[in-house]
Amino acid sequence: MEEIFICRCEEVTRKELEEAIRDGAVTMNELKRWTRAGMGLCQGKTCSKAVMAMLAEKTGKPLSEIQPATHRNPVRPMPIGCMTKGDQDDDARS
Amino acid sequence: MNKNWDVIVIGGGIIGLACAYYLTQDGKKVLLLEKGDIGEGASTSCDDMIFLQSKKPGILLTIAMESLDMYRKLAKDLPVDIEFENRGGMVLIESTSQLGHMENFVRQQKALGLDVELLDRHEVRKFCPLASPHILASTYSPIDSQVNPLHVMRGFVKIASARGLEMKQHTPVTGLSSPSPGHWQVTTGDGTVYETEVVVNAAGAWAPQLAAMTGIDLPIKPKRGQIAVTEAVPPFGKTNFWSADYIVMKLNPEFAKERDSLLNDLGIGLSMSQSHSGTYFLGGTREFAGFDKSVDRVALRLILKEAARFFPTLEKVNIIRTFAGFRPAPGDGKPYIGPVVSQPGLYIAAGHEGDGIALAPITGYAISRMIAGKKLPFDLSELAPEGRVQMWSTID
Repeated sequence: MEEIFICRCEEVTRKELEEAIRDGAVTMNELKRWTRAGMGLCQGKTCSKAVMAMLAEKTGKPLSEIQPATHRNPVRPMPIGCMTKGDQDDDARS
Repeated sequence: MNKNWDVIVIGGGIIGLACAYYLTQDGKKVLLLEKGDIGEGASTSCDDMIFLQSKKPGILLTIAMESLDMYRKLAKDLPVDIEFENRGGMVLIESTSQLGHMENFVRQQKALGLDVELLDRHEVRKFCPLASPHILASTYSPIDSQVNPLHVMRGFVKIASARGLEMKQHTPVTGLSSPSPGHWQVTTGDGTVYETEVVVNAAGAWAPQLAAMTGIDLPIKPKRGQIAVTEAVPPFGKTNFWSADYIVMKLNPEFAKERDSLLNDLGIGLSMSQSHSGTYFLGGTREFAGFDKSVDRVALRLILKEAARFFPTLEKVNIIRTFAGFRPAPGDGKPYIGPVVSQPGLYIAAGHEGDGIALAPITGYAISRMIAGKKLPFDLSELAPEGRVQMWSTID
């Protein structure tokens, strides 16, 4: 069978995602953790819609019921130097 | 109603899944209930280290060594690559006072059979050329290892399911009661009642809520661990790293005075490990913040500053993600593993704090042996809940 890459950052194939769903992953977070799809440099910005569609199809749930994986900071890759050189006073801690 | 299950395990983190794995290996029919996603509380929001050097000499170090051996076997037995690796670990030392404490610590660990030694400045440079020149010395143990907890859990699920495990995610337990000794009723959010003879409370930071349903005061609190993840980079050294200043403070609380008070409030100490995909986990905090899973900027800045102090080159490296998890922190520093004797059929396997990944195999194995009424090849009586938890029912 032709190899189709769904997550380009981590080179995760369609087959690997289907296997994880068969192994019992039922949410986007579980699927991500088992396959690394969405764990790379772009953090799922490129592949998450395709993965959600797959999860909906394989689990028989409507796409509207598939929750995206948890989004976390930073929004895009950020050099550590930006944080270490910043001013502590920038941080308003409540 | 039929008792369809030999054992109901509550909690689908690495501890609950390890219990399910070894119980089904023993031929038990197991139902596992998880209120959210698999490993949602702590087991997927952590690093990947089995760091024996950070364990206090005593029962925890002893069983961590046993558990490490079990991981070697699991690496062969599980049908997924659990990325087990024996990369070794270093505890980086920055001052002569830290060195004095660490020399003492290393002596105690060696006495318990841990292969660990001290490296001088030049040897540190040889192991990791990118380490900051201010680092005075380091410990080194070739035994420290790592494993991908996400893959371990997938392996446990896969094998246990093939042996008949039924697993229900997004199924919170709302009621737990025992109408007669050895007969348990577990009620879930949708009103379903499951009956069984044995219940295992493996709910991590949520274990006290479950324990309270049968009048047990289980002293476990959620400790938040915030961690940053870098992009994939070449290794900064041969091993994974910890900073001595946090370990020394843990062993000698008076040492805290030498540290910044904010670092102490947040429980910050460097832990740095590289995943198989090349990303580094930079940790972390150990702080009581209730069930708040957010990452805050003050803590993140301090974590990154710590990491860059040891490895200045990190300043040029990108972070791609941050996250936080709830380490289930036990009142007296030791996990609760064993039966609640006054409530026949009820077992606790919770309170592993930052050692959940390292201790999962031995915990699951021990619980399965206890439930089967078989002897354990090691003494876990120090971890028995008896005498360490309070029963409300004894009051009336």
